[in-house]
Amino acid sequence: MSFRKTMIGASVALFLFYFTLLLSLLFFFGAKGFWEVFLHPSTLFSIRLSLVAATLATLLAVVVGLPAAYALSRFEFPGKHVLDTFLEIPMIISPIALGAALLVFFNTPLGTLIQTKGIYFVFEVPGIILAQFASVAGLATRLMKASLDEIAPRYEAVARSLGLSPWLAFYKVTLPLSLRGLTASIILSWAKAVGEFGATVTLAGAMPGKTETLPVAIFLALGSANVERAVVLILILAFLGLITLYAVRLTGKRYHDD
Amino acid sequence: MIRIEGLRVEFDRFRIEELHIRIAEGDFHFLLGPTGSGKTLILESIMGLRKPKEGRIWIGEKEVQSLPPEKREISYVPQDLALFPHLRVRDNIFFGIRARNLDMARYKPYVDDLIEQMRLSPLLDRFPATLSGGEKKRVALLRALAPKPKLLLLDEPLSGLDPSMRKEIQKLLKTLHAFLHPTTLCVTHDFEEAYLLAGEITLCINGRVEQRGKRDEIFFKPRSRKVAEFLGAKNLYRAKVLKEEKETSRFILDVQGLPFSIPGRACPEGLRLGEEVDLFIRPEEVMIIRETKPIKDSLKHNLIEGIIVDIVDRGRDRTVFFESLEGRIPFEIAIPNYAFRNLDLFPRKRVKAALRDESLWLMPLDGGPGL
Repeated sequence: MSFRKTMIGASVALFLFYFTLLLSLLFFFGAKGFWEVFLHPSTLFSIRLSLVAATLATLLAVVVGLPAAYALSRFEFPGKHVLDTFLEIPMIISPIALGAALLVFFNTPLGTLIQTKGIYFVFEVPGIILAQFASVAGLATRLMKASLDEIAPRYEAVARSLGLSPWLAFYKVTLPLSLRGLTASIILSWAKAVGEFGATVTLAGAMPGKTETLPVAIFLALGSANVERAVVLILILAFLGLITLYAVRLTGKRYHDD
Repeated sequence: MIRIEGLRVEFDRFRIEELHIRIAEGDFHFLLGPTGSGKTLILESIMGLRKPKEGRIWIGEKEVQSLPPEKREISYVPQDLALFPHLRVRDNIFFGIRARNLDMARYKPYVDDLIEQMRLSPLLDRFPATLSGGEKKRVALLRALAPKPKLLLLDEPLSGLDPSMRKEIQKLLKTLHAFLHPTTLCVTHDFEEAYLLAGEITLCINGRVEQRGKRDEIFFKPRSRKVAEFLGAKNLYRAKVLKEEKETSRFILDVQGLPFSIPGRACPEGLRLGEEVDLFIRPEEVMIIRETKPIKDSLKHNLIEGIIVDIVDRGRDRTVFFESLEGRIPFEIAIPNYAFRNLDLFPRKRVKAALRDESLWLMPLDGGPGL
């Protein structure tokens, strides 16, 4: 078999693997049952909770991650490489371990103080947001850093020599130039937050009607042998994911470097 | 007037020691040096993007080393131009005026005039990605000049251009400089670029200033072998002072057994008998003597007999590789095509070469007194 055919064959095999998985869901699928499950108040609650929590978690990740990504992309400072490595923690440890670490943290004196004097996270909705934030912040920072790395620092150097402060140079030059990459990073992070399960279920629990995000709802449906509900929820999640990826492809136009 | 005094910059293991540069108002000053000689570090320090360890920088009357880049009134044109790709040509050009909150009513006629002169009017609504290399260079230059900076910093303005574009931009830079007199510091490793455009040159090698002065001084009277080698000098020899002829104000030197008579004006001060020096002979000032023609007295000081080893056609001129019979010293001689045609030269031909006094220059081994 030729080199070209082998490579393309591998990509087709991978596609068929995922496509078969999705197709197998239809084995349990009935059109009438779909709408019944989809329009059920508990499903709508899960969709709403997932979307709101993921949006807030992603927003937080961007607020903290964008300056961090900029610093990692542009500056040299002591401990930069340690910091950079730490960003990968959510990617290398299991999400359950991440959630467990959060749970343990809220049993320390500082964690207890935060809970009693501030916001309750354990087995509460803010816990979902925090778990999703912990899960996606590192990834969001990494992706945004990659987008900023693509923009040569010379643009900012020129903008500053022409009279802009560093804040304005970032706002008027670097931000518009990296907008496509940043938008794609944010959308991908949001998609990951929507699908987050391990850390969420460990910190916020799996309480129907309270902390029941879409992945948690799938887990609960399977636990109670309600396969049809689980299938519908999986399809909603898959649909959201595909829409997100399509949005990434459509984001903004790319400026050509001169 | 731009003054840089005692600038010391460090980056990783590289350091620039005690840099002093003075650029007169309206001068086109070149900072010339090989790649890796610290030119970019110097440029970034002047711009305010890098904090120097020591040193002071004045732009006009203002001491700027502690000011951020946006307060220094410097415009910077990087080698790759960095035109803002998301802005149209018009917005690129007026970027500095808007960024500095300058009075648009006052600056617009001046900029519009430059737009006309630089033939940029038809391009104003286009994005940089649609421009040719030369058009981009013109836009970048105008963007830098529009806010009337106190100092214009150019990073290798002629690099990466094809020969015709190179000529066009060179002409444009000369014209702009002649009309607007912006005080300009240009950084480059390309000595041809420096020769074409420079008024004064500061030559920097390995973070150290090796020579500074007028363009011709640097190119024709290098201070040391290091400078001469960087400038691509041919015909560099180690020589020993044999005697001084007081009545003719000339020194006699020996290079591998071949004597050279050097006029005093081409020698470093305080030259001693027995001292070793470096001798530089400019290839374009060496003449091959036609057998039939009488030899002028002024050429008789250094008349060398030898054979032609090889001839290379370089298009605009020929390089003749010549070897002396005495001492078997190799020379490179540049001969214009029109002269070459009259000489009937070919390899292995025995000829006489005469060195004009203008072709000779002596350099002390240590480069002489410090700068």
